[in-house]
Amino acid sequence: MKKKISLIVLTTALTMTMLSACMGNNESANGTTTQPESGNGSAEVKTLRFATWDTGDALKIEQDIAKKFEANHPGTKVQVEAYADGFDQKLAAGFGAANPPDVMYMWDFPTYHQSLQPLNSYADGDKDLNKDDFYSGLFNYATIDENLYGIPAGFTTRVVYYNKKMFDDAKIPYPKDGWTWDDFQSISKQLTDKAKKQYGFGVRADNDTYDLQGFVWSNGGSYISDDGKTINGFMNSNETADTIQMFGDMVKNGSAVLAGGKGQQSGEDIFKGGKIAMWESGIWPLESFRQAGIDVGTVEMPAFPGKPVKGVVAESALSIAKDSENKDLAWEFIKYYVSNEAIKMRVADLPVRESVVKELKKDQDPLYKPYYTMLERSDNTPAFLLNSKWNEVNRQLSAAVEAVVHGSNAQDVLNQAVKESERYLK
Amino acid sequence: MAHTYPQTAGKQSASLGPRRNRRWVGAAPYLFIFPWIFGFLVFTLGPLLFSLIISLFDWPIVGKVHFIGLGNYVEMFTDDPLFWKSFGVTLKFAALFVPLNIAVGLGLAILLNQKTRGNAIFRTAFYLPSVISGVALAMIWSWVYSGDYGILNYFLSIIGVQGPDWLNDKHWSLVAMVVASLWGQGSMMLVFLAGLKGIPKDLYESASIDGAGKIRQFISVTIPMLSPTILFNLITSIIAAFQQLTLALLLTGGGPMKSTYFYAMYMYENAFKFFKMGYSAANAWFMFLIVLTLTFLVFKSSEAWVFYEGEMKRKPEKKSKSVRRGRSA
Repeated sequence: MKKKISLIVLTTALTMTMLSACMGNNESANGTTTQPESGNGSAEVKTLRFATWDTGDALKIEQDIAKKFEANHPGTKVQVEAYADGFDQKLAAGFGAANPPDVMYMWDFPTYHQSLQPLNSYADGDKDLNKDDFYSGLFNYATIDENLYGIPAGFTTRVVYYNKKMFDDAKIPYPKDGWTWDDFQSISKQLTDKAKKQYGFGVRADNDTYDLQGFVWSNGGSYISDDGKTINGFMNSNETADTIQMFGDMVKNGSAVLAGGKGQQSGEDIFKGGKIAMWESGIWPLESFRQAGIDVGTVEMPAFPGKPVKGVVAESALSIAKDSENKDLAWEFIKYYVSNEAIKMRVADLPVRESVVKELKKDQDPLYKPYYTMLERSDNTPAFLLNSKWNEVNRQLSAAVEAVVHGSNAQDVLNQAVKESERYLK
Repeated sequence: MAHTYPQTAGKQSASLGPRRNRRWVGAAPYLFIFPWIFGFLVFTLGPLLFSLIISLFDWPIVGKVHFIGLGNYVEMFTDDPLFWKSFGVTLKFAALFVPLNIAVGLGLAILLNQKTRGNAIFRTAFYLPSVISGVALAMIWSWVYSGDYGILNYFLSIIGVQGPDWLNDKHWSLVAMVVASLWGQGSMMLVFLAGLKGIPKDLYESASIDGAGKIRQFISVTIPMLSPTILFNLITSIIAAFQQLTLALLLTGGGPMKSTYFYAMYMYENAFKFFKMGYSAANAWFMFLIVLTLTFLVFKSSEAWVFYEGEMKRKPEKKSKSVRRGRSA
């Protein structure tokens, strides 16, 4: 009896511990099931695998673009693979198993560039692509060591959304470009009414440090030195600490609410419910704000007194896998995907071509204009492009930022984060 | 069996030769067991050994793999504050969860062992949570714990207590996780219930004749008779506590401020968020050794407190005699 139990226990311990090890295998098994038939005369139809992180309406649009491409290129089948939330895991597993999709959405170039096809020779001098028509800053985000690894497909900068009705009710004039963080904080205070559970601004409980970079730059700070080698004196500089402390203080003094923690409503949802007057984000929630019936306005980010406003770009690009057997076809697909025709189909993305923006008069629409003026202000290089170990450093930085919005002192926790991260930069 | 089969088979087809038949017959058990063996080797033992091997490598999914010996283990112990932090969280969780889990499971089993009306309904009701999948369970609890709209704080407000925002308060989040984990432990209760049912009635009868009250009976009859079941549940509880991942992943994401950042989650993130497969495998092997050691210690200690039916606790030499007798029979 005793022996039997010990055997049972041992096997249970073994199997349970191994569960985690097995998960990796599942992923790669997933990848292999979708192996394309590389047509060696066996079939006329060439299959191009295209991996996307989008779901819902955006995915629908991408499938439509794929269908149009198929119609223009007889004998081609574009297999749209929607990885959704599991995008990074599935993509990594695909590369790990040497079976990646041919074309994929991409943003994290430092992690993946070794497995991607450099596109300089494709892009330079390709008249159909017309590289000069793109907003020039966008290519920087997809370039590592002079090699271009992706063609910009979509981007967003970050702006402040405001609920016009709440401003009208409080008889406060709408914010204008050129406003300062002092203006911002005093407006937020005026619009906060705790009895009505109404707040001027929402601070995310779970911030992406990437998004906060724009503010840090605006205050003259940065996370890392320009050469990407030093964080001490940058990540924990006064400028960086003060910027992050500002958000912690707004939560502390009650002029902003902490939103989007676990089991809490997201800031977007509260904004849609008309209980947050100002919200800071990219283009993503705009459509849902409108659908919720909010009379929404957008404005450039506030400035720190005497310092220029800086922005941060979240960009999505299309890349080709180094191991792809259909690189030329993949290039054709990418070109179509960023053509005027396809850009106009992708209504949720901000157009990456100046000609399309002019044609659609997006830069004159007051709702869209701030995204483009913020783009002009986005000439700093984000930290993850400067150091290949940034993911590790960011783990500590994220923890520090979380601590600040929960009440810790920014300078202290950032010093601590620098101390714990420096080993990665050796 | 291997003896009789060839004889009859040999009669039927003598020309083919009995030797060949014998070979097949000998293989039969292995053929039957082959699917399992195959699965075990490919999906269990293989990955297990593989993970031990990759724990000695710097093994990113994307990029170059290279051998670093015990480098992962050294980094883990000497250079990674998150390793100790998450290990501490898991230890704290286990220290709270394991005793409570045993106590709640046993308590419920004893209540359900009473002969009351509607017993079957209660049994079903208490077992029901363990049928719910971990993900659904996490969703339910995230509603229960919600600071503003949660039912828990609503009940607390009725008695005039302003409840915390359970999952977003670093002082309460781990407690919240323990309680949520306790909820789905119907299977443990069921094992206890089966154990209780297995205790012979006459023991209680003779105990009460000897004048033992309910509490005395519980301590002197129920607990010793149930001790093998307690041992089993204790070990599975410990393992479950160290493996806790689903709830952390879904309920708190390890936060706030890493207060529920379990070791399993640390391991998971190293593997599937930061793609450090080698490092994560090293994490996993450390956890495995810890669990194995704890299990071993519990087993060692069990000689002192676990009683098996028919076993008599006597002086050592007599005990060894009874073992020998058991073997020859």
